[in-house]
Amino acid sequence: MAIDRIEADVVVLVGGPAGLAAALAAAGAGARTIILEREERLGGILKQCVHDGFGLRRFGEALTGTEYALRFSALIPGSGVETMTGAFVHEVARDEERGIYRLVAISAERGIFAIETASIVVATGCRERSDRQILIHGDRPAGVFTAGLAQRLVNVEGLLPGKKALILGSGDIGLIMARRLLLEGMEIEGVYEVKAEASGLARNIAQCLVDFGIPLHLSTTVTEIHGGRRVESVTIAKVDERGSPISGSERRVACDTLILSVGLIPENEILQSLGLPLDPATRGPRVDQSGWAGLPGLFACGNAVHVNDLVDDVSDSGEIAGAAAARFAREEHHALPAGHDARVPLKAGPGLLYAVPQLIDPRQKGKVDIHFRTNATIREGARVLLKSGDRVVAERRFIALRPPEAESLSFDPTLLGEVQALVLELDRQAGAGGAA
Amino acid sequence: MTIERFRKEVADRGLSDVEASEWRGSIRLEGQVASWSDYVELGRLAVKIGTRGVVNDLEVSGPEGCDLAHEDPLAAMGHLEEGGELEGLSFDVAIVGGGVIGSAVARELSKWSISTILLEKEEDVATHASGRNDGMIHDGFAAKPGSLKAAYNVRGNRLWEPLAADLGIEFARPGSLILFHAPAAKALYPVLASRASENGVDGWELWSRSRVLAEEPKVTSDQHGGFFLPSAGCLSPYKATVALAESALANGVRISLDTIVTGLETEDSRLRRVRTNRGSFAVKALVNAAGIWADVVAGMANDRFFSLHPRRGVDMILDRASGALQRHIMAMPSLLQGREVTKGGGLVKTIEGNILVGPTAREAPGREDYSTSQAELRELDRHFRLNRALSPSMLITYFAGVRACTWEEDFIVGPSASVLNLVHAAGIQSPGLASAPAIAHDVAASVLAILERTMKVSPNSRFVAKRRPVPELARLPLEERAAWIGRDKAYARIVCRCEEVSEGEIRAALRPRPAASLPPSVVGPASPEGGAFTEARLHASSLDAVKRRTRAGMGRCHGGFCTPRVMETIAEELGLPLTAITKKGPGSQLVAGETKAPAAIHLAAILPAAIPPSAERAAEEE
Ligand SMILES: Cc1cc2nc3c(=O)[nH]c(=O)nc-3n(C[C@H](O)[C@H](O)[C@H](O)COP(=O)(O)OP(=O)(O)OC[C@H]3O[C@@H](n4cnc5c(N)ncnc54)[C@H](O)[C@@H]3O)c2cc1C
Repeated sequence: MAIDRIEADVVVLVGGPAGLAAALAAAGAGARTIILEREERLGGILKQCVHDGFGLRRFGEALTGTEYALRFSALIPGSGVETMTGAFVHEVARDEERGIYRLVAISAERGIFAIETASIVVATGCRERSDRQILIHGDRPAGVFTAGLAQRLVNVEGLLPGKKALILGSGDIGLIMARRLLLEGMEIEGVYEVKAEASGLARNIAQCLVDFGIPLHLSTTVTEIHGGRRVESVTIAKVDERGSPISGSERRVACDTLILSVGLIPENEILQSLGLPLDPATRGPRVDQSGWAGLPGLFACGNAVHVNDLVDDVSDSGEIAGAAAARFAREEHHALPAGHDARVPLKAGPGLLYAVPQLIDPRQKGKVDIHFRTNATIREGARVLLKSGDRVVAERRFIALRPPEAESLSFDPTLLGEVQALVLELDRQAGAGGAA
Repeated sequence: MTIERFRKEVADRGLSDVEASEWRGSIRLEGQVASWSDYVELGRLAVKIGTRGVVNDLEVSGPEGCDLAHEDPLAAMGHLEEGGELEGLSFDVAIVGGGVIGSAVARELSKWSISTILLEKEEDVATHASGRNDGMIHDGFAAKPGSLKAAYNVRGNRLWEPLAADLGIEFARPGSLILFHAPAAKALYPVLASRASENGVDGWELWSRSRVLAEEPKVTSDQHGGFFLPSAGCLSPYKATVALAESALANGVRISLDTIVTGLETEDSRLRRVRTNRGSFAVKALVNAAGIWADVVAGMANDRFFSLHPRRGVDMILDRASGALQRHIMAMPSLLQGREVTKGGGLVKTIEGNILVGPTAREAPGREDYSTSQAELRELDRHFRLNRALSPSMLITYFAGVRACTWEEDFIVGPSASVLNLVHAAGIQSPGLASAPAIAHDVAASVLAILERTMKVSPNSRFVAKRRPVPELARLPLEERAAWIGRDKAYARIVCRCEEVSEGEIRAALRPRPAASLPPSVVGPASPEGGAFTEARLHASSLDAVKRRTRAGMGRCHGGFCTPRVMETIAEELGLPLTAITKKGPGSQLVAGETKAPAAIHLAAILPAAIPPSAERAAEEE
């Protein structure tokens, strides 16, 4: 079938904060850049984030998510970036012979059309984990919402999910929704967290729960939902150190709404359709410091790579990936020596949940930020070391490390010299000595 | 076994409070037992007395307490509205129950020029067993030789393929592979073959270990060949039920949803009137296709010669990607032990390409209890080992369904022995979906025989067999998809990103008649029958109804992204406020009301023109 064919240097999927930054950077570097956004508006999930605290680092002020998105999308007109909204990517395929990607997309404006591009930046963000994925059992009534869905209903649609909510998960969206729903007149039974400590940023615990007298119940989870048509109650239970419900500790709590803030999952179905394996620790692609994701001209950034705490970091990674994609389209496109890869793997050592990027390209100039999380809280202080064999390449001290708060360590890869592999190590012994 | 012997066995178990008596040619158990397992055990034991049926009216006391005999379907339906739409009307036939059986009977009856009404207490058809099963069109091998199940299954299996084509729903025959778990199991082949032949199954093969490996490269290394049944098929059970109901609707059957039958009035061994929450009306014949409530409906007609007990089944649904890892339906039963060889489930490849793991089989007291438990899910883990490429991490969701089982474990199909104008299709447990077309055929024949005693019945000359389905764009070639989009841009607006469902498909599923007529390239030349087709749509209005028809919300995000847009589309199509949209009918409203300030105002303030449309649209609507 003859369908419209559009040519581009860089195609950015999709137009959330990562994608907007990537597209602006790519166009700024002279690439013919297209953003394909599946929703009607740019901005991604930020559109529904009407609370503040966004962009402190980048803009030096506390913006709402919506305003933050607006700062970026306002730069699009005149930037050379072409935006296609309401456009859904049906298929992405690599044409090895011509060294390009061919996308088939669908939009009301253009119907079915194809885009051929040297480079793709995947900035598809996350989806939320649902009740089924954390194995909550019992009935299936109306009244169970992920926090993001509840947020959209309230902030975009002007709809109130229920009258009395119980919130499971103390992640940031859960905390923010507790406050938001309370302000809208709902009763908040409490926030329940399966872990022994809260998962959200400390400032959100203070500003969303403490300030409003909303109780936080730690080491407690929801095991069952009850109600034929609409939620009538849930069973909560205390959990042991392994997170398993303690039998005998069950208690029924009346509510008509259950809000789940139980984790985010990077959305990488497009990368998977290209045959790329995902890093089981991040559920994102294995990337190098430029966001290169494993195939020529393929880049990824933002929450599709790993779940970030701050939008500023998401925008940064978008800018890096966008610029790299433009560079690829301009320079390396036809010049990449087949099979040659000087990239060095970077592994997360024991005690660390993950480290991103998973690959380091020593040829790329400029400082690299390694983002990592520990898998347990460390209160007594620790040192994090980047090592090549026994050689310490970089290190940083921390007073405390908490899994909900990602940290970073910087180094200059051009100073690496000859290395085979890098390991990010957590040294708890060296703790007590104070912070860098 | 005699009834005396039964009484003695009961006494031997120390169950003093149990009475057994003959009742309408059946055996009836009354009294009290202390546990659900006693209840089940005595029901099974009573079958050995060999009467027409077993009516187990024992009450279970204690923590598992239940009294199935005196349960009232209306009690669970307190949210239903009263209405008078049906008051004083009269129909030739009323069908109780909009599952696959009732819907198939309705369509079968629509081939005749009679007036038929289908009554369903829920907001949609296929909300109970027919929407909660594996979608497998069994080959007929597993059913006990000589049972109604075996006969209806094999007939139904043959009928489904052409019927699915008429209804415009997908049907496939992946075939079913029963793996041998031990080298010795192969020796059972002659036994298996003779059973298949006794049941009249369409074909079977012995597969060697290497043949199995060649056909299923990811199969466990632990297999020792298998028994292959090529006729096993699959389809979407809820789409099939909706399609049957819509075809019946298009051919003149009245379908009354949110309508519960609360009583039946009999006079001289004849049913005269049907009482519902929407008024009472006269009938000449009644079909009992009430699923797990069929014994209660039989009781309303004073014809309760059997009783049903619920058997719950739980299935896991794996991500769509799993489908590429397996070609056939696979199971590895312990052939050497059970007589019921398929008990225990396996890996079922669905028509959509997902793999279902299950189902379990557990006796449980709730007729409509679809709750699941961790223990039931874990029971299914063992099936994963059949296919090395599958893993529990592919799980996207799980569900429970309830089988309506008689104590005899067979279907009851045909006219009542005591009520002259009542036809039962009761105890339709698995393989009820596979058997549905054949059961419907026989039930319709019984109904016609009843009507012909008092009236002349002629064929419906305007019956149209073919139904045009709601298009599923993601499954169409791009040219056809483009043609749909050419007619209506709504087909280009993707609402459900996981399953790639467009706004146009959702609208088409909700509209009595789709707005966009088919592009010529799709219709093609007129078929020999003249190319006639119907496209009436049942008035679906809930989120679950849309999900059943279009798959919107069925993917990995479970509706996290698309729910608001599906709600908006339903609200727009049906002219309802968003606050009226439900998950599954009255009482299951998704939201409780509106926020203090309309979101549109709030959004318009912070989202000036730089971010394009949608909020403006919302603002205009305010
Ligand atoms: C887990 C599981 C897996 C299964 N897998 C398969 C399979 O792979 N293949 C297969 O062939 N079979 C399978 N089955 C069996 C199959 O689902 C059933 O046999 C079939 O759906 C029964 O259809 P039905 O119409 O009799 O019942 P239902 O679908 O339950 O319909 C009965 C309807 O009657 C309505 N009703 C009841 N009382 C009243 C009243 N008083 N007034 C108005 N309406 C009323 C109910 O609301 C209900 O909608 C499975 C079953 C389960 C539970």
